[in-house]
Amino acid sequence: MIAFILRRLLTLIPLLLGITLLVFLLMSLAPGDFLTPVRAQRDVPAELIQAIQTEFGLDQPWYVQYYKWLGNVLQGNLGHSWAFKVPVADLIGQRIWATFLLSLCAFVFSWAIAIPLGVLAAVYKDSIFDRVSAVLAYAALSIPEFFLALGLVFFAAQTGWFPLGGATSIDYDYLSFGGKMLDRAHHLVLPTLALGIGSIASIMRIMRANFLDSMRAGFVATARAKGLRERVVMFKHVLRNAINPLVSAFGFAFSSLLSGALMVEIVLQYPGLGQLMYQSILREDQFVVLASVMLGCSMLVLGNLLADILLAWSDPRIRLERKK
Amino acid sequence: MQPIPVDAEVVDFSVGEFGANIIETIEGDVATVNPLVNESVGGSLVIGRILDSLVTMDPKTGEVIPNLAKSWEISEDNLQYTFHLRKGVHWSDGEPFTAEDVVFTWQTFFAKQSDPETGEVMTGEDGRPLYRYNSRSTFGQQINGQEPQVEMLDDFTVRFTTPEVYAPFLLFGGGVDILPKHILYDAYEDGTLMDQWSLQTAIDEPWKIVGLNMFVLETYRPGERMVFARNPNYWKVNTQGERLPYVDRVISKIVPDGNSSNVAFAQGQTDFESIGPDNVAWVRRGEERFDYTVLDMGPSSSTNFIWFNLNPGKNAEGEPFVAPYKFDWFSDKRFRQAISYGINREGIIRGVFFNRADILNGYVSPKRKFWYNDEVRKYPYQVERSRALFQEMGFEYRGQELFDAEGRRVEFTLITNSNNGLRVEMATVFKENMAAIGVDVELQFLDFNTIVTKISDAFDYEACMLGLGGGAPDPYAGKDILMSGGRMHFWYPQQQSPATEWEARIDELMREVGRHTEVEVRKEYFNEVQAILAEQQPFIFLVSAKEYAGYRNRWRNVEPTPLGGVTWNLESLWSEVSE
Repeated sequence: MIAFILRRLLTLIPLLLGITLLVFLLMSLAPGDFLTPVRAQRDVPAELIQAIQTEFGLDQPWYVQYYKWLGNVLQGNLGHSWAFKVPVADLIGQRIWATFLLSLCAFVFSWAIAIPLGVLAAVYKDSIFDRVSAVLAYAALSIPEFFLALGLVFFAAQTGWFPLGGATSIDYDYLSFGGKMLDRAHHLVLPTLALGIGSIASIMRIMRANFLDSMRAGFVATARAKGLRERVVMFKHVLRNAINPLVSAFGFAFSSLLSGALMVEIVLQYPGLGQLMYQSILREDQFVVLASVMLGCSMLVLGNLLADILLAWSDPRIRLERKK
Repeated sequence: MQPIPVDAEVVDFSVGEFGANIIETIEGDVATVNPLVNESVGGSLVIGRILDSLVTMDPKTGEVIPNLAKSWEISEDNLQYTFHLRKGVHWSDGEPFTAEDVVFTWQTFFAKQSDPETGEVMTGEDGRPLYRYNSRSTFGQQINGQEPQVEMLDDFTVRFTTPEVYAPFLLFGGGVDILPKHILYDAYEDGTLMDQWSLQTAIDEPWKIVGLNMFVLETYRPGERMVFARNPNYWKVNTQGERLPYVDRVISKIVPDGNSSNVAFAQGQTDFESIGPDNVAWVRRGEERFDYTVLDMGPSSSTNFIWFNLNPGKNAEGEPFVAPYKFDWFSDKRFRQAISYGINREGIIRGVFFNRADILNGYVSPKRKFWYNDEVRKYPYQVERSRALFQEMGFEYRGQELFDAEGRRVEFTLITNSNNGLRVEMATVFKENMAAIGVDVELQFLDFNTIVTKISDAFDYEACMLGLGGGAPDPYAGKDILMSGGRMHFWYPQQQSPATEWEARIDELMREVGRHTEVEVRKEYFNEVQAILAEQQPFIFLVSAKEYAGYRNRWRNVEPTPLGGVTWNLESLWSEVSE
C-alpha cells in the first residue's frame, strides 16, 4: 500500500514539471507582461520600468526565467506576486479557505441531495417520480455553470433576497459569532447552488444506475431468500454495494475542490482562489498562475489517489498491491 | 487622541453631525498600500486616504495651496523652496509629525546601493548610481537626471534645493506623500522597505499603516472590501473647533469593473459614484427610487485620438516598420490634415456618445481651462477641403476611391483595444467617415497588452486609436508624450534626436515650460506647443467625453467641482445618522 502511494506521488513530479513548463511557454508567447499596462501610464518613468524589468529578470528568455523560478520553488519559495507584491504563498493563503468552504458546501449539498434521490429513483423505477427526476437531472446537466450563475445573479438583483457578490456583509466585523456564521451562510447560498446543481444531477444518475445493478445481483436474491426484510436488503446490502463506484467519483470531486469553482466565483464575485487565478491570468501575474496550476494539478493526483485508497478500503475485492 | 494642533486648518463649511458611514466601490483589487510600490489608480486612491502631502491643488482653481505645509517661500533665483510645516500635527498613532518625516521620505527615494565591503556607491552599466528602493519618485522626482536636495532647518522647516529652475517642483515635489519615519525607519535600514505595508500587513496588522490624512485602514478583506476608520488625530477642524472628518468609516467594496460599480450605485447600495457617459442614462432612472442625484460634471480630462506610425526605423529582419510609400503619405502633414478634416466629430458625439462629449481640437481637454488654448487650428468636418488636400499631394479620385500619384489605393489598418466599447464604436464611425473621402480603413480590435507591445516595442502597425485619461495638473507632466525623446511620444517614441523641425521646436518649448516659474510665461510657451500640434496633427484628436458623478441625497456639504469631483471635501461631508 505504501509503495503504491509513493509511486503515485512520484508521478506527480514529471507531471508538475511538464505543466509548469507549458504555462511558462504559453505566458511567454502571450503579448506583453505584467509591466505592459504600467508602460502605458504617462507618469511612470522609463528608468523605473527598466529597473523593475531587471529586478524580475523579464529581459531574459523564458527558459532562463523558468530555470530561476524552478530553483526558487525547490527551495520552497513560490515567488512574489508581481501585481500584489506579496509572496505567492501568502496570496493563496488569503483566498484558499473561501474557496475550500464554498466547494465543501457545494459538495455536501449535492451529495446529500443526490444520493437519497438516486436511491428513491431506483427503488421506484419507472414511477412518475423517477421520470420527473430524470427530466430535471438532464435539464440541470445541460445548463452550463456560468449560465446558472448569471441566472442567480439576476434572481438576486431582482428579489434582493441574497447578496450580490462577496463572502461577508459590510457589517460582518461587528456581528456576534452566530451572526457571523449566518452571514457567511447567507453569502454562500447562491454560489453553492450554482456549483452544486450540476453535480446533483450527475451523481443522482450514477447512484440510480448502480442501485439498479446491485438490485439485480445474486446476493440480493440470497438476502431476500433468507427472509430479510425489504428495508434491510435495500439499505444494508444494496446500498453498500451501490456506493462503491461513487467512491471514485468522490476522488474527482476532491480534485476539483479548489479549481472547480473558477467560473462560479468570477460570475458571482466570490472572493476565492478561482477569482484570484482569473485576475492573475489577465494581469500576467505569472508566479500566481503557476502556483495555482500546480495546486490544481496536485489536487487532481491526490484526489485520484484518495479515491483508490477509499475504494480498496470499501471493496475488499480490490487489492492494490497485487499488480506487480 | 492628541490635542487639536495649534496650526489646525479650519474648514469653512456648515457644521454637521458626526457618525455616518460612507459606502463606495473600488474598481479592481488594490495591490498594495505602500506608496513606494504602488502603480495603480485604485492603490493611489486608497493611499491618498491615509497619507498626506505638504501642498495640494485647489479643486476649484487648480492653484497650489497649503496642506501640511502652512506656507512656503521660493528664493529669488527660483532654486530654493522653504516649507513651513503646521505645528502640533500628529500621526494617526499619536507620534508628532516633524520635518524629519519629510526628510526621511525623500531619503528613501534617493538611497543608493553601496558595496558592502568598500562602502562605495554602486553604479549601473550607464554609470548612474543604483538605487536601493526603485520607486516612481526615485526617477520621477529627478530633474534632468539630477536629484533635488532636502535639508531640515528646524523641526518645522524644510528646505529643498533644485539643481536647476524647475517650475513643477512646487506641485510635484510638494505633492509627495509623507512617510512616518518612526514606523518605517528600521525597514529602511534593513532593506525591507518595499515589503512594508503590503496587503498582508493590511490583513494582519492594519494599525501599522500610519498616516496624516483623515482615515486609517481598519480592515482589509481580499477581493471584498477595505474599511477605513477616521484618524483620531486629523489636523482639520470645523468652524466650531471640532475635529474632522464627520464620518466614522468609509467602506470601500471591491468590484471587478466600472459597470458593476455603476450597478451598485444605481441600486442604492453606495453613496458616491463616478459614472461614464455610456452608463449615465440608465443610472439616472433610479434617482427618485433610491434618492440620489446624478450631476453633469462637464468635460472630463480624458482625450481620444488617432495617430499614424511615423517611426522610420526597421525591425530585426531589416524590414521597415511601415511600408515606405505609406510612410511618405503619413509623414506629409497635408495627409494628416486631410484625414482630420474628413472626421465627423459631431457625428461621433451624437452617434457614439449621445451628445455626452465635446469636440477635442487640441492636446489639452477643455476641462483644464487654465492651460487650454482655444486659438489653435481647428478641423471642422469638411469633406471638400479634405479631398482638395489629397489632390494637392498629387492623389487622385477614381470614382469614389482615392489613389496616390503612383496609382496605389489609399488604405491603412487602424488598431484599437477591443475592451473599450466606446472606442470600438468610434473606430467604426471613423472607418465610415474615411470611406466618404475615398480612404479604405481596415479595423483591428486587439487586446490592450498587444496594442501596447505594438506601439511601444514592435512598432508593427500603421495607425492606432487610443486615449489618455486622468489628465495631469501641470503641462510638464506630458513631457514623455510631447518631447521627441519621450517614452510615450506615440508616433515615434525615444528618438535620439528630433526627427522633424517641429518636434525639435516642441522639445525646446517644453524645456522652457519646465524652466520658468512665472505662470504667464509658461502658458505662452505651452500655447505654442498646442498650436504646433494642431497644425501638424501628429495626434488627430477626436472628442473628450463628459464626466458624471452621483451622490445619495442624504449627504450634506456636497459642493462638486470639475477638478475635485464630489468627494474632494470628504472631511466636511456629513449625513444625518439614521437608526
